[in-house]
Amino acid sequence: MTAAFELRGLTAAVPGEKGAVRLVEEVSLHVRAGETLAVVGESGSGKTVTFTSALGLLPKPGRVIAGEALLEGEDLLKLSPEALRRRRGARIGMVFQDPLTGLNPVFRVGEQIAEVLRAHLPISRREARERAVALLARVQIPDPARRVDDYPHQFSGGMRQRVLIAMAIALGPRVLIADEPTTALDVTVQAQVLDLLGDLRDAEGMAMVLITHDLGVVARQADRVAVMYAGRVVETGTVAEVFAAPRHPYTISLFRSIPDVEAPAGTTLAPIAGSPPDPARRPVGCAFAPRCFAVSDAAGCRSARPLLIGAGHEAACHRQGAAELAA
Amino acid sequence: MSVTVEQIDAAAEAAARRRAAIRRYTRHPGFMIGAVGIVLLVLVALFAPWLAPHSPTRTDLMNSLAQPSATYPLGTDQFGRCVLSRLIHGAQVSLQVGFFVVLISLSAGTIIGAVAGYAGGWIERALVAVIDILLAFPSFLLALALVAARGNTLDSIILAVAIAYTPRVAAVMRSVVLTIRPRPFIEASRAIGLTPWKIVLRHVIPNALPPVIVVATVSAATAILAEAGLSFLGLGVQPPTPTWGNVISEGQTAITTNPLISLSAGLCIAFTVVVLNLLGDGLRDTLDPQMRRSTGKLL
Amino acid sequence: MVAYIARCAAQLLVALVGIVTVAFFLMRAIPGDPALYMLGDFATAEALATLRARLGLDLPVWQQYFVFLARAAQGDLGVSVVTGEPALAEIWAAVPPSAALAVAGMTVAVVAGVPLGIIAAVRQGSAVDVGVMLIALGGISFPVFWVGLVAILTFSHALGIFPALGATSEPGLLKGLHHLALPALVLGLSVAAYIARLTRSAMLEVLGQDHIRVARAMGVPERRIVWKLALRNALIPVLAVIGVTFAWSLGNAILVEAVFSRPGLGSTILKAILARDYQLVQAGVLVLAAAVVVLNTGLDLLYGAIDPRLRQR
Repeated sequence: MTAAFELRGLTAAVPGEKGAVRLVEEVSLHVRAGETLAVVGESGSGKTVTFTSALGLLPKPGRVIAGEALLEGEDLLKLSPEALRRRRGARIGMVFQDPLTGLNPVFRVGEQIAEVLRAHLPISRREARERAVALLARVQIPDPARRVDDYPHQFSGGMRQRVLIAMAIALGPRVLIADEPTTALDVTVQAQVLDLLGDLRDAEGMAMVLITHDLGVVARQADRVAVMYAGRVVETGTVAEVFAAPRHPYTISLFRSIPDVEAPAGTTLAPIAGSPPDPARRPVGCAFAPRCFAVSDAAGCRSARPLLIGAGHEAACHRQGAAELAA
Repeated sequence: MSVTVEQIDAAAEAAARRRAAIRRYTRHPGFMIGAVGIVLLVLVALFAPWLAPHSPTRTDLMNSLAQPSATYPLGTDQFGRCVLSRLIHGAQVSLQVGFFVVLISLSAGTIIGAVAGYAGGWIERALVAVIDILLAFPSFLLALALVAARGNTLDSIILAVAIAYTPRVAAVMRSVVLTIRPRPFIEASRAIGLTPWKIVLRHVIPNALPPVIVVATVSAATAILAEAGLSFLGLGVQPPTPTWGNVISEGQTAITTNPLISLSAGLCIAFTVVVLNLLGDGLRDTLDPQMRRSTGKLL
Repeated sequence: MVAYIARCAAQLLVALVGIVTVAFFLMRAIPGDPALYMLGDFATAEALATLRARLGLDLPVWQQYFVFLARAAQGDLGVSVVTGEPALAEIWAAVPPSAALAVAGMTVAVVAGVPLGIIAAVRQGSAVDVGVMLIALGGISFPVFWVGLVAILTFSHALGIFPALGATSEPGLLKGLHHLALPALVLGLSVAAYIARLTRSAMLEVLGQDHIRVARAMGVPERRIVWKLALRNALIPVLAVIGVTFAWSLGNAILVEAVFSRPGLGSTILKAILARDYQLVQAGVLVLAAAVVVLNTGLDLLYGAIDPRLRQR
């Protein structure tokens, strides 16, 4: 079965003082219909840039310099701007991080949903409004016929995120990209929104990409996971595989850095020392080498870029299988 | 004393930052044109007596309204005075007006705006209400009325323009202070017991300085235009003292036969104002991107 | 919305009382004895005393203020010392030509300035943007009276398209508009430059906001994003700018009227200033400030119509 959405070797860059600065490099990943792929990594690891550039939304002067972004087999990056616009919102939807700023403050929410519908369908204002009410009901907003005429500031954060989700699914997209959809929300609301996204995915048979830095969310919501570091995918596999036996030192460090409720008392938390490299000054070899606990010159960590290796469960590390990693 | 690698790195980084800051300025074409232009103007004003080919007030009635020649590069006016010399000396009046108006209105406006923005409460509400009401009066009209009442010496013109444009500066300064007020160091100074006056002087005003510099350049441009307008209406510094405004006004009578008189004086004003605006825009772009919000609205 | 309108009306009333107050104290703050100014240095003591009594100058300042306020509320702003006519009536007679110039000028400014600012913002960094911004820089930098002179030289003397005089006594709307065209263009273009610069920066800020990115991700066409979704947000700062520039353009209008020898408030006030007719100057300044305040109230109502958050508070 072909993937609903697949990236192949996607590389995006911005011009810098000394040539192009690569924000994301050779990112390859895929997600099938009815499945959720979680993309995890620290902020600045290129999670958001990967998907905004795949959708042609990278702000200037950034641009994609290599790779393909296949939506049901069709390369979005080869389309004309107009053709790409007709796919966006209609066949591939996106939900962003901050629901408080994501809605236009001076338009009624119904108008904003209608704007999306009418951008893709030849329907009347009235019909668009009726469908907006139905969509609000769909994302479980109470009393949708009345709330459709409210302005964004009359909604809570969680409700606004529901409205944004309603806009994203308005045209029944095959793929939904959710970029940290719950980061800005209260903990109790987070679970509701994530459950809603899961239900919608199942009901519509959508492929879903869930960008997050919360490993707990990954464990509960996702089928597969891709770990990103410094603009590259460093490990990918099913959630079960990766959680049971992480292979990349960065992934291992991530797991060590989160408090585990089931861990015995006295287990110390190990934050990862240092910070991710500036995209303009990434080291020659493995970008994680300066922070890696298993770094080895002999293995080429400081001289060569590691490639993703493995079948199904892949990792990009020169030291895969080394004794230090097992510990 | 040993020097650690970190210290060397830190020093190198600071030097790199300084270089980057200088580069930001030198690579901004508007800023460079503005800076060079203003330096040129100041030099012209300072060395006017040596640069001008003739005395700006010497009349040569045999040669009134002469067309440009080797003796009179821009021709002469109806009294046979050298237009080029009048323009070169006119720079003195315009630059003095620009400089002193900014000095006065900025000091007054900064203090009023800073106090209003910092004090809050009823003091702020009262000051803002007064500023808002003053903003409803067209500044140029206020300057006009004040000059008419106080006479048209250079001092009274400077004072009148400064008073008329102070409310605007005060309004900008208040909005600048409003963006500084919530910052943590203000809270910290209050916690260690600094008096409000000391906080305003030591923290609020220094931090508001970058936008103030931008306001200053733009206000200077406005003041120069206002002085020229007053001169044009016959309410500025009186002839025979040359100002760009009164050269335009006097040239108006001969505009069809000797258009160069009024045209060249207008270009002098425009050049000065363009240069100041370029400088202001350049400073706004390079000093601090965040300040665009606070100064953008009124400038 | 009703509550919002009521609040705007109350603010208007407060502002009007405010400008009357400021005008009163401003005129009193100017040094010198108005009665002496009016009668000249050779006036007799009785004549001065009579005039002071007639002007109410013999009362304590606070009483003078309340008398002035009460009279102003009834539309009585004193008497012109030169003509003996009521000052307000004389000013009022000069309003129609000035209002025509101001309205025509602001129309030119908004119609030219707002779209140019939007286009420059949308094509930020392009040749179009640089071109528009250079023209706008020229527009705010050239003295308006000088632009007027150049316009007369070009369009009246060289090309003969428009008359050099900004007004005519001949009847007929078309004739009047023909004479109004050049002054309105000159006044409008200087304000348009200002509006274009600020529209551009307001638009750039809005175009960088999250909800615009969301609209793009939803496939809303760029044309709709710019001219509908972003524009309505940018309109609030743009309206604020129009309010600020209106006061400023009234100052410029004085100069434009002078260049084009056009009758109006500017020339009336200027004549009054030269004749030391303080009552008339005061009335003129008050009428202009009141016009600014009324326009700003109108803009406040518009903000409320555009931004639902304002209506609520």
